[in-house]
Amino acid sequence: MTQTKSERSVTINPGMLCQPIGAMQAVLGVHAAIPLVHGSQGCAAYPMRMFNRHFAEPVEIALSSLGEDAAVFGGADNLVKGVHALTARRHPELIAVITTCLSETIGDDIDGILRKIDLPVELVPMHTPSYVGSHVTGYDNAVKALVAQLAEQTGPTDKINITVGLLNPGDIRELKSMLEVMRVKANILTDISETLDAPLRLPRPSFPTGGTTLKEIADTANSLGSIALCKHAGGGAVTYLANKHKVPMILGASPIGVANTDAFLENVSQLVGRPVPEQLRRDRGRLIDAMIDVQFKIVQKKVAIFADPDVASGMARFVHELGMEPSIIATGTKSKEFVKDVQAIASQTGHEIEILPGCDLYGLHEAVKAAGVDLLMANTHGKSIADDEKIAFARIGFPVYDRVGYQRRAIIGYNGGINLVDLIANSILEHGDAS
Amino acid sequence: MPLTLLECDIPIPEREKHTYIKKSGECIIPMCNVQTTPGDLTERGCTYAGCMGVVGGPVKDVIHLVHGPIGCAYYTWGGGRRQNLSDNPEFHRKYCFSTNMQEANIIFGGEQKLHKAILESYERFPDVNGVFVYATCVIGLIGDDINNICKQASKEIGVPVIPFSCEGFRGVSQSLGHHIANDVIFERIVGTKEPEEVTPYDINIIGDYNIQGDLWIIAPLFEAMGLRILCTFTGNASIDDLAMAHRAKLNVMHCQRSTPYICQLMEEKYELPYMPVSLFGVEQTSKALRDVASFFGLEEQAELVIESEVAKILPQMEYYKEKLKGKRVFIYQGAPRAWHWIKLMDELGMQVIGAATTFGHTDDYEKIIDRIGDGALVIDNPNSVELKEILVKYKPDLFISGLKEKFLAYKLGVPFVNGHAYENGPYAVYSGFVNFARDMDMTINHPAWKLIEGRT
Repeated sequence: MTQTKSERSVTINPGMLCQPIGAMQAVLGVHAAIPLVHGSQGCAAYPMRMFNRHFAEPVEIALSSLGEDAAVFGGADNLVKGVHALTARRHPELIAVITTCLSETIGDDIDGILRKIDLPVELVPMHTPSYVGSHVTGYDNAVKALVAQLAEQTGPTDKINITVGLLNPGDIRELKSMLEVMRVKANILTDISETLDAPLRLPRPSFPTGGTTLKEIADTANSLGSIALCKHAGGGAVTYLANKHKVPMILGASPIGVANTDAFLENVSQLVGRPVPEQLRRDRGRLIDAMIDVQFKIVQKKVAIFADPDVASGMARFVHELGMEPSIIATGTKSKEFVKDVQAIASQTGHEIEILPGCDLYGLHEAVKAAGVDLLMANTHGKSIADDEKIAFARIGFPVYDRVGYQRRAIIGYNGGINLVDLIANSILEHGDAS
Repeated sequence: MPLTLLECDIPIPEREKHTYIKKSGECIIPMCNVQTTPGDLTERGCTYAGCMGVVGGPVKDVIHLVHGPIGCAYYTWGGGRRQNLSDNPEFHRKYCFSTNMQEANIIFGGEQKLHKAILESYERFPDVNGVFVYATCVIGLIGDDINNICKQASKEIGVPVIPFSCEGFRGVSQSLGHHIANDVIFERIVGTKEPEEVTPYDINIIGDYNIQGDLWIIAPLFEAMGLRILCTFTGNASIDDLAMAHRAKLNVMHCQRSTPYICQLMEEKYELPYMPVSLFGVEQTSKALRDVASFFGLEEQAELVIESEVAKILPQMEYYKEKLKGKRVFIYQGAPRAWHWIKLMDELGMQVIGAATTFGHTDDYEKIIDRIGDGALVIDNPNSVELKEILVKYKPDLFISGLKEKFLAYKLGVPFVNGHAYENGPYAVYSGFVNFARDMDMTINHPAWKLIEGRT
């Protein structure tokens, strides 16, 4: 087992985005909420374009529009004006003020500024300087900020909380379907399944239907327990709820593959005190059936996986279950927790895994070349590595925009596992056809 | 009719100054090129986007190193096969370079990190002919001396290292970024090399970025008339092309928002004249070829080219004219395409019911208002709320805009063509006009629109 750390000053082909976009995605999963970015023009326009490409959906992102004056005199006026204009025009239920490298370096006291504003809208400050962490920590900070401001103890419920992390609409639909089968009521933070995959029907509502309601966020303080599907992106909120409101927390592996999904359902089952029902056992059986069916097509293939930390470690275990070899497990976000997670998988499964935390795709490419893998799983930007090395390529993560439909398909749960089996096997088969 | 206030703008009445309904005989220009209203649901980009994303980025044989936190570099990475094509795809737009500034670098300064990053990048890609360094917002705040670092690094690696101070907050839109890139390229690159030979027929194509290969259908037309293209600014350009651009006899300027600066600078310093042209649609392209030809005394050659090119597309254009006749279109572009394309729609018998720009200046709006019909809406820097109101109220048959507006249009049931990056382009000159018309026809007549529940 090795662990490579880049000593380069230059990042080539980055493996992460900056904090603000992660926070924006979290806010876009809240019903009738609008992110207001406290930064310059590009801080809104660029993330919008990224969401458009990945989700094929329109998104609304407001901007405090910091210019040269604000850089010198501070951005307080812009922020106050911005919150007022946005409220008057769009009547959102919540405005999340998301900071950037610009506003954090100027040093605006956004918490103080927002406290003085008296408007019929929830104003949530989110500190996401672009020079700290990554989009993953940005998402984590945002969800934590939501519960820290809104969660309120009003008496116990029979609900559970689930923080989703940077997954896709398809994943949340799969999550909801599993919970429905188990008759579990949940506060899902945050729910992009409708807001970033809205049906085309007219007239279009002022805000997309769906999304996590403010009431649900408030209610998270009263739940039976909280589970983070991605502990790096949502674990902060779950931990906050445990510390502040004594809501029991579970920070397990992402429910990707058989064992991880088993563990997730077991956790849900224990929290609500009901067994995992027959229908989910049937889904499980169908996944294993699919895994056995494709064995000779994929077994013993060496895989490199690049994704956000929890998806990458979840995938590592799943490719092991598929009889493949997880050779390189890489993520763009620096995290000791991630290294520990993958080390545990390596020692439990006996695979020698090269672990690359905080790596860029240039570093990943060097590792792929050296290890000689058969399949690369990564976002759209991984394509050129697979092309150069003439290996199979399967798209996972964010952003994926050079093929359609990824955001609609789940990778979590047993059904997500079936999708992944198909994706992996077909990628290898198509590569075989082409070469 | 005078300036007007959209319903959604009642809470921010300052938007009235940006919104005008054309009436002949009036001389009103909507307010433009000013800071976006705070709280706006803006579609605009920043100074960095104009400098790096538009003008600098297409240069194909330099390392584009973004100095700042990671996001700004990531967002301008790639663009896939649809943008800024070059004949160096094994390097250009495939790689993305950033200093990935961390908190400690913000506190203690990023000069050392930048210096090391330049050397390390060059070490890994020694075949490049230069390094462009772009400063993002935070660099301007902490005051890194990027000029000095670039100068030092250039001495060490032996190729030009060019600093661009294009911090996002500097300007009100992309526009200042274009200007900065023009100035820097002019001051530091143009005139630093001499071509092996010059001919009396050398031109530069200024302001084409080779979107989906526009340049590769534009250039052959000029070449067929007997002209030689010395440099393209900056689609598919090498840094050496830019260095030798001053030896051309004429600058043919297409994008008249992002490049008039360098044309004027070259005219002043090198007495190199420039000629604004429109290379969209049959009439405008033919006029451009004739204008350029008459500068060089190549009128006959121009007529031959025009005749043969028009003959090639005539049957298809007749077909699309028939299908598109009378369709009502709303055009929202960066700036010049909004007025380039009004004439193009006229050619197709379509009606432009509104036009908008992201970063247009007064001269862009003068051209729009001169060309657009009475009663049409002209709006500066529209936001998503205004766009929604316009699309719902005016119900255009077609909306031409960019990616950020595409899915809004779709969700409102409005046919849409991406005019920035194109759908199935290129869209320039004659053969591109056919592509453009075909894409418009495809979306307007797509069968699925009729299936939408509630569409009236």
